[in-house]
Amino acid sequence: MGTAVLEERKQSIITRDFACSGEGFGCERASVAGSVSQRACVYCGARVVLNPITDAFHIVHGPIGCASYTWDIRGSLSSGSDLYRNSFSTDLREKDIIFGGAEKLARAIDEIVQEKDARLIFVYATCIVGVIGDDIEAVCRDAEEKYHIRVIPVKAPGFSGTKSQGYKLACEAMMQLIRPHYKEQEKPQGVNILGDFNLAGEMWIIKNYFHKIGVPVVSTFTGDASYDSLIRAPQAALNIVQCAGSSVYLAKCMEEEFGIPYFKVSFFGVEDTTNSLLRVAHAIGRPEVICRAEQFTAVEKMKAEHFLAQYRPHLAGRRAAIYVGGGFKAISLIRQFAEMGIRTVVVGTQTGSKDDYEVIRHLTEDDTVILDDTNPAELERFMREMRADILVGGVKERPLAYKLGIAFCDHNHERKHALGGYEGVVNFTQEINLSLNSPVWKYLRGA
Amino acid sequence: MNKNFADLNVNPCKMCVPLGAATAFYGIRKCMSILHGSQGCSTYIRRHMATHYNEPVDIASSSLTEQGTVFGGEKNLLQGLENLIRLYEPEVIGVATTCLAETIGEDVPAMIKKFYEQHPEYRQVKIINASTAGYAGTQNEGFFRALRAIVSQVEMRTEKNGKLNVITGYLSPADQRYLKELLAEMGPEFILLPDFSDNLDGGHETMYQRLPQKGTSLEEIAQMGGARCTLELSRFVRPEDSPGAYLQQQYGVPCTRLDIPCGLRGMDALLSALTQLGGRQTEKIWQARSRYLDAMVDSHKYSALGRALIFGEPDFVQGTVKLCAENGLIPVAALTGAVCPEFRQALSEEMAAAAEIQFIDKFVIEDDADFARAEALAVALGVNILIGNSDGRRIAEKMHLPLIRASFPIHDQVGGQRIRTIGYSGSLAFLDRMANALLLQRASGFREDMYKKYYLAGATKPTQIGLATDKAAMLAKKTAEHPCFTCGQGKYARIHLPIAPACNVQCNYCLRKYDCPNESRPGVTTEILSPEEALMKYQRVKADMPNLRVVGIAGPGDSLANFAATKATLTLLHEFDPDVTFCLSTNGLMLPAYAEELIRLQVTHVTITINAVDPKIGAQIYKYVDYMGTRYHGESAAGILLANQLTGLQYLAQHDVVCKVNIVALKGINETHIEDVVRKVKELGAKITNIMQMIPVAGSAFEHIPMVSLKEIAAMRARCSVYLEQMMHCRQCRADAAGTLDHDVSILYRRAERLPADEAAPLQRVAVATKSGTLVDQHFGQANEFYIYESDGIQARFIERRNVVRYCQGKEICETKTDRIEALLHTIKDCSSVLAMRIGDSPQRKLEAMGIRVIATYDRIEDAVKKAAQGA
Repeated sequence: MGTAVLEERKQSIITRDFACSGEGFGCERASVAGSVSQRACVYCGARVVLNPITDAFHIVHGPIGCASYTWDIRGSLSSGSDLYRNSFSTDLREKDIIFGGAEKLARAIDEIVQEKDARLIFVYATCIVGVIGDDIEAVCRDAEEKYHIRVIPVKAPGFSGTKSQGYKLACEAMMQLIRPHYKEQEKPQGVNILGDFNLAGEMWIIKNYFHKIGVPVVSTFTGDASYDSLIRAPQAALNIVQCAGSSVYLAKCMEEEFGIPYFKVSFFGVEDTTNSLLRVAHAIGRPEVICRAEQFTAVEKMKAEHFLAQYRPHLAGRRAAIYVGGGFKAISLIRQFAEMGIRTVVVGTQTGSKDDYEVIRHLTEDDTVILDDTNPAELERFMREMRADILVGGVKERPLAYKLGIAFCDHNHERKHALGGYEGVVNFTQEINLSLNSPVWKYLRGA
Repeated sequence: MNKNFADLNVNPCKMCVPLGAATAFYGIRKCMSILHGSQGCSTYIRRHMATHYNEPVDIASSSLTEQGTVFGGEKNLLQGLENLIRLYEPEVIGVATTCLAETIGEDVPAMIKKFYEQHPEYRQVKIINASTAGYAGTQNEGFFRALRAIVSQVEMRTEKNGKLNVITGYLSPADQRYLKELLAEMGPEFILLPDFSDNLDGGHETMYQRLPQKGTSLEEIAQMGGARCTLELSRFVRPEDSPGAYLQQQYGVPCTRLDIPCGLRGMDALLSALTQLGGRQTEKIWQARSRYLDAMVDSHKYSALGRALIFGEPDFVQGTVKLCAENGLIPVAALTGAVCPEFRQALSEEMAAAAEIQFIDKFVIEDDADFARAEALAVALGVNILIGNSDGRRIAEKMHLPLIRASFPIHDQVGGQRIRTIGYSGSLAFLDRMANALLLQRASGFREDMYKKYYLAGATKPTQIGLATDKAAMLAKKTAEHPCFTCGQGKYARIHLPIAPACNVQCNYCLRKYDCPNESRPGVTTEILSPEEALMKYQRVKADMPNLRVVGIAGPGDSLANFAATKATLTLLHEFDPDVTFCLSTNGLMLPAYAEELIRLQVTHVTITINAVDPKIGAQIYKYVDYMGTRYHGESAAGILLANQLTGLQYLAQHDVVCKVNIVALKGINETHIEDVVRKVKELGAKITNIMQMIPVAGSAFEHIPMVSLKEIAAMRARCSVYLEQMMHCRQCRADAAGTLDHDVSILYRRAERLPADEAAPLQRVAVATKSGTLVDQHFGQANEFYIYESDGIQARFIERRNVVRYCQGKEICETKTDRIEALLHTIKDCSSVLAMRIGDSPQRKLEAMGIRVIATYDRIEDAVKKAAQGA
């Protein structure tokens, strides 16, 4: 199985045998054609960030595929409207491609406004629209004037960059939405939570923490958000950013335009959650908030440690492979595994930076295999070579792990268990345990 | 107890013996059966079989009437046989008896003999009789008993034929068909008994044949005595009912008993037995096996969500338990309606191993069970999937649980006859159905579940539901481990959590203002804890003392005068450690108001101080009582207190709370009254009394009252032990006591969270170069922002995030490298250290020249900041 690495890919792999020298590690570059990359597109990035806005109409302007693939596949939850779980599309056909689809889009918007009580519409332009050049900005502007509602264009042709470009477009779309609601004289209060998509209720978990320590939450981006909640955002005193990759750009914009300071936090793992809550409390600065945060985190931390102590004997000494989107998530997982006594033997990301990989190298052992923008063939080879017991990745990698007799943990937007906060530590540990220690593996080996 | 009642079966989890016999007879070629009894029996059985198999099911009855019952049913049976032959022209007739026929003592063999004598023209019809009183077991026993009757009543041709007998228990027609295909594929010649794969799951023919045309023929059965060996696929068949055992005893055909081939291991065992008998392992079989393995892996995480209750015939339950267990689907309850003493032992190891993976410590295996029991267990064990026949549907409906239908009977869905559970392919189909039910349950429920769990915050966790029978045992265990209630007081530790400062009764012997860590007596503590602090303290002490069992709330005031704090503490502690024993001390004034809630909060032990049961005496002991917003003095105060104490004590005792009564012996006031107190509290249900010395406290009203001597106390205890158990080992603990009674270590645990001030370093301001916001993971030179902290080495306090660009003198200047460095330096010039992943030599020198320490690290921000401040 030694032939599984393409020559062009060797720069992006570190193993004990062929480590490319520090600075030369190949990341933050375009994928090698034909290599079966796991990366996604601009549209995907924009859609991930905006989709959880529960009462928005998300109209995908383009041929049907992009709308079909993103229809209600994510575990973002809502306490209100369920509108976001529908998929709206202009479903462009051959004729539209030849003669242009802008008019069809305008008519589609008319239909929605006439049939439903629409207040907020996002219009996504996908690859083909980028090529045929429909002026969706003009269509959206006209619709806004005609109906006095918000119709916001998101020009996200897949080929126009990476998923990160899509995040940025989503952030710009949200700025477009909230900018008119900024009033300088208002006295700021509370925090906005950015970069949490309320997967399996994670935003609720974090909001509950803030509730317990006495910090009001003004608005959430975009987990369980609505038109009304989003436009309150400019009143907040502070922005905290959980998934920085997708949302720090929005925080920067809000800092520049509304003067709202921000900082990054993480609610993955006991330490990160504790530190983040204390950081928010200190930033708020009110003594009673700090005191409550100290008490709350101390109790939760002890409960989590008590829980982990029970599970550790089931997990210690096992070997993990990690393949996730960003460097930050990979780093966080390496640390969480270390707390369980699990060693990370293969780790890769789709979009990690040089610095991320430097930290990763520092956190892992010498023989740990590090991969950027890897492909199934490499994953297969290195998981075998390094005798991984469990893979953390996206659903595309799941069957591969299973074929190799390796346990699996979903760590993506489709999951149905919360991984954030102290509750997430419990869920994550249970998830790892039930896959890693499933009886099925011993029957495979017996075969 | 396997039922909720000893003598009452509520919702039966079994059917009767003749049903099994009739089913087995359906596996014999050209066989009709007749039940000797009243006609209801065959009608009910036909109804159940017809709706399960969706085939016409004809079973005759001798239709015993009152006359037949009194004078014997011979006439009815003889006539029944004759008519049956006329209508159906069978080659074989199975006569199964019913409760009625067996009880009135019908001699069926003699009747059959008589029938042949009267009807020589029917000699070629083979009449087989099975003795199957309904009360002799379940359908499973009836099934095997009929098979045993068949092999023992058919004349065997004992010459060796090299064939293999395969005898099965209750399988579906589809499973029987599979077994035939498998045997054909593997090669050895076989005789399958019974075989109703066609008779009870037939096709649509142009011409309907009312007599079952297929199945094991008499010819084949006759060869079973000369077979090479028997495989009997039933673990639990009784030896006296086993056809295989009969063939072995009678004709020397060796019998191997195997589990039902459900799941990987069951099927592997059958395969290996067949291979040893010369069967071929084929590619097709291998592929089926590897496909099942692949499915096991694909589903393993969904399987792991399952907590199954499996019910039905013992063989079915055992096979299903093994299938579930090998897939990580946890069988938490295995029930059979049959009486089967081997059942528990056969399953317990398997179920324990499955449960251990997910730290489940409770599972139940019971025979002779009913559905009322199944329902109680489903609730108690948190079952989320039911596996068994359609009689489980009532529980499924009521509890909104999926029911994976298999085995017999299934009369609320079609296709019961085609359900597969054995072989690799059958196991796969069975597993898919379970996994899909669990997936559907989660997919359709998780949005609402999470909404309830996380959005509707403050929703309390469901309390653990224990089985009623366990409660007494739990209480006894807790009492045995309670240092105040047991003589082995040195073994287990207790902690008193001082969370209750206020008091609503002023006792003349008490003064709560002292605060001396070296003094030990009730009412004394050095600190008052919040409920959260109390939890932390418990956690710390528990970590050091695994023998810590009991948490007492003993003031320093009265626990119920501070009910909010008491409640919050109990709730937090119970959430953290569901096994903790709560013990509460109170003067009893507020007991009528809170007793019910204390029970809800899992308080199992309460100590009430009752110094008098006569208000006149009480009036001398209590200065005042604050009750419902009014301060009472004298006898009215003592009267209110006493009434509430006694009402509360009685209520608690009636609700299984273990009550101790403390009595403070007061010289010249209540010394001669103590026996009355003990008698009274015993009458109301107290379990033990503790007569104690009063410790005179300077400044209290009784400061100058002499102490009752220990000798006098001992004498009082001896007198009172006639009425009630006496506590002899009281140590009169502090309100913040910790440890065992003999070794109090409370002084070690007083607010030690924070380091003494002299260990804290001076406050430092630290700048952090970070990209993630969690780790020090940015090069100094590339930083666009710094996180600014202040730290004394113990706490890291976040101040703000600083944007470097803001510290440039306008953007253009920042674009040259030197200007950028200048901006960086300017941004953090008020800090004493800076943390970065890496830093260049030139900026490092500049920083050091400014008196700023540079630390390169990859640590977590808060940890790195604290270390930096400590090192300063």
